[in-house]
Amino acid sequence: MAATALAVGGQRARPPPKALWSIGVAGCGAAAVSIALLVANDGGSEPRVHAALVGWIVVAYVLCGLIAWTLRPDSRFGPLMAAAGFAPLVSTLAVSSADLPYTVGEALRLLPVVLFLHVFLAYPTGRLRGLLERVLVAAAYLVAIGFRLPTMLLGGSGSDNLLEVVHQPGSAAVVRWAQVIGISTVVLAAVGVLIARVRVAGRPLRRPRDLFAMSFVLALVLLAAGVVISNTGGPAKEPMRAVTFAVIGIPPLVFLRALLRSRLARSAAADLLVELRSDPAPAVLRDALARALRDPSLTLVYWLPEFESWADLEGRAVELPQPDEGRATILIDRAGVHVAALVHDPALDNEPELLAAVSAGAAIALENGRLHAELRARLVELRGSRARVIEAGQSERQRLERNLHDGAQQRLIALSLDLGLLEERLSHNPDATGRLREARHEIALSLAELRDVARGLHPAVVSGHGLAVALESLAARAPVRVRLRVDLDARLHEGLEVAAYYVVAESLTNVGKHAQAMSATVDITRVNGQVVVEVVDDGIGGADTERGSGLRGLADRVEALGGRLRVWTPRGGGTRVRAEIPCA
Amino acid sequence: MIAEDSVLLREGLARLLGDAGFDVVGQCGDAEELLIKVRSYPPDVAIVDIRLPPTHQDEGLRAALRIRMEHPSVGVLVLSQYIELGLAMKLLSESAEGAGYLLKDRIGDVKEFVAAVRRVADGGSALDPIIVSTLLARRRSDDPLARLTPRERDVLELMAGGSSNQGIADKLVISLRAVEKYVSSIFGKLGLPSTGSESRRVLAVLLYLRS
Repeated sequence: MAATALAVGGQRARPPPKALWSIGVAGCGAAAVSIALLVANDGGSEPRVHAALVGWIVVAYVLCGLIAWTLRPDSRFGPLMAAAGFAPLVSTLAVSSADLPYTVGEALRLLPVVLFLHVFLAYPTGRLRGLLERVLVAAAYLVAIGFRLPTMLLGGSGSDNLLEVVHQPGSAAVVRWAQVIGISTVVLAAVGVLIARVRVAGRPLRRPRDLFAMSFVLALVLLAAGVVISNTGGPAKEPMRAVTFAVIGIPPLVFLRALLRSRLARSAAADLLVELRSDPAPAVLRDALARALRDPSLTLVYWLPEFESWADLEGRAVELPQPDEGRATILIDRAGVHVAALVHDPALDNEPELLAAVSAGAAIALENGRLHAELRARLVELRGSRARVIEAGQSERQRLERNLHDGAQQRLIALSLDLGLLEERLSHNPDATGRLREARHEIALSLAELRDVARGLHPAVVSGHGLAVALESLAARAPVRVRLRVDLDARLHEGLEVAAYYVVAESLTNVGKHAQAMSATVDITRVNGQVVVEVVDDGIGGADTERGSGLRGLADRVEALGGRLRVWTPRGGGTRVRAEIPCA
Repeated sequence: MIAEDSVLLREGLARLLGDAGFDVVGQCGDAEELLIKVRSYPPDVAIVDIRLPPTHQDEGLRAALRIRMEHPSVGVLVLSQYIELGLAMKLLSESAEGAGYLLKDRIGDVKEFVAAVRRVADGGSALDPIIVSTLLARRRSDDPLARLTPRERDVLELMAGGSSNQGIADKLVISLRAVEKYVSSIFGKLGLPSTGSESRRVLAVLLYLRS
């Protein structure tokens, strides 16, 4: 069976449900604590709104993170997202009036900003790609926490600060400003990275990705602005904060939507299978795959083992793209041997389930196609060999029939003639003429028997004089009244005429043996490149089409010529035998 | 004139007909030669094997039909190894005058055969008894044939075979008048218009039986 070279899922076990539930409950608890703290202590003008927004962020990140973790245990993105969800709780501690929580909250005040940044940059795998991103995230952590400590040591953040060593508000403000500028710079750099990433991403997936990136970018810009404004006491501090928090809560939902969509995309793979259940042409297969993957740029290439090279649908040799060429490749293998490959937009790597399902579908379709082709080849071979067997039998019978006619029959007739002449000469001897007459009678019987044998071997009149002439006697000899209609403008090829003759002969024999019919009709017409032979009787129907009726042999004969034989024989409704044989 | 590709039979036939007082003006082994010879010396009757070279398919029949079309005065007696109603109808479809279709086996019965040759040469007809009996053997529900007496059936069979009234009378050992009575009775029962000519009635009866 075919297997894709791509492995999806199962490398890491799913997180245990118990852990997930506890994290989920902890998240809800954290949200509740944050809300309670904020409602009680927030100095802003709208503490409830602020509290609700923080609660919203915590719940959104933790729950979406857990769902992602469950659906994609391989990806670190889920746990990272869930972890980021707890960050607002930590920074919310800063509103506490108690010293210790306040100090912790103040120290980690900017942690949420950095975690969100980390989450956005680590999308979708949970891992940072490239040096720049790693440097950015490391710098963010350094600035957020490393610059906070000096500020606090210098007594730059309120009187409840347990870390205050010296009270140097001026120096503290400088460090704090450095931090604000540093974090804003890092965040804006991350915005640049995200925008660049969108531009690289392939068109097919841009829409969902655009949506993502936009929410990230917006959230980051607002974060940067928020950090600056909250430290300058700039205008519209409160509404600005509300909008920032609301926007930060959006990315998890966008992510969740995309996640569920990619689950749904599997139904596209199911549609693909339905579409491909009949053996599709390569171009049709490619289009169906492109539709299922929503990637118009998809190309399907085949492995040609005899040339040891990849080839496109037209058979031209192609090279598979290297990973750094901006295209990604899935190999479709069967029994350890390449069969084909899908060259697709690398953006599709974000939807491994879809890719796996679609490439598995393609593998099945290709395998089906191969089996179909093989089956067809075998059928053609079989039909050819059956036709050859029948033809060989036919020509052998024809040869025997001719030998009988030209050999034994002619000699017997000549002998009979000699005896007749002798009889004339011996007319004065009644004893001799009587015995000669007897001998001639014996010869006549032998000739009649020979004729029957010859006719059984091959209906010579069909090849000699055509179907219409041959059927005339057949109809005349039939045990019931037969209406014969032969509507052919020319002779057909011999094999076809002989087959049609046998269909009529066998059917009329059956009419006589089984049908208890009063009459029958025989129709032979030529319709749309087919000769249609139809024998219908008005008898009792219900004929046994399997045994003793010779219909099996007829079907063989007809099918060997690429035609088909059908029999309708309802009880009490007569019998209709219909053969359709193509005549090019 | 004899066209037959088997030398054995051709010479046997020539001897037979010579003994019977015929003048055999030509013998040949294929259809082309037959047509040339018939054109050069139109005989009273041509005896034609239905299977002639080169393909042994329908050359003999085609030559026979051509002679009947081009030389209406030449009688044509076709001999065949198999007897097919369709072939008889092809040969006699226009008229049964001067036409015959017999199983090859019949040449062993010298008297009958010579009589048939003579009938065809004289513009009469000869139809093999197998054809006639095949047609008569068919069962039909509303069959006027069932109303014929056994004797009338005998007469019908001979009549369809091309026998003259005298021939029928001789064969059945009855008087000529009795034969005429049977014939008109048969025609009455089958609803056929009686025809004067003995060979025209062969076709009438044949068409009636086949329908």
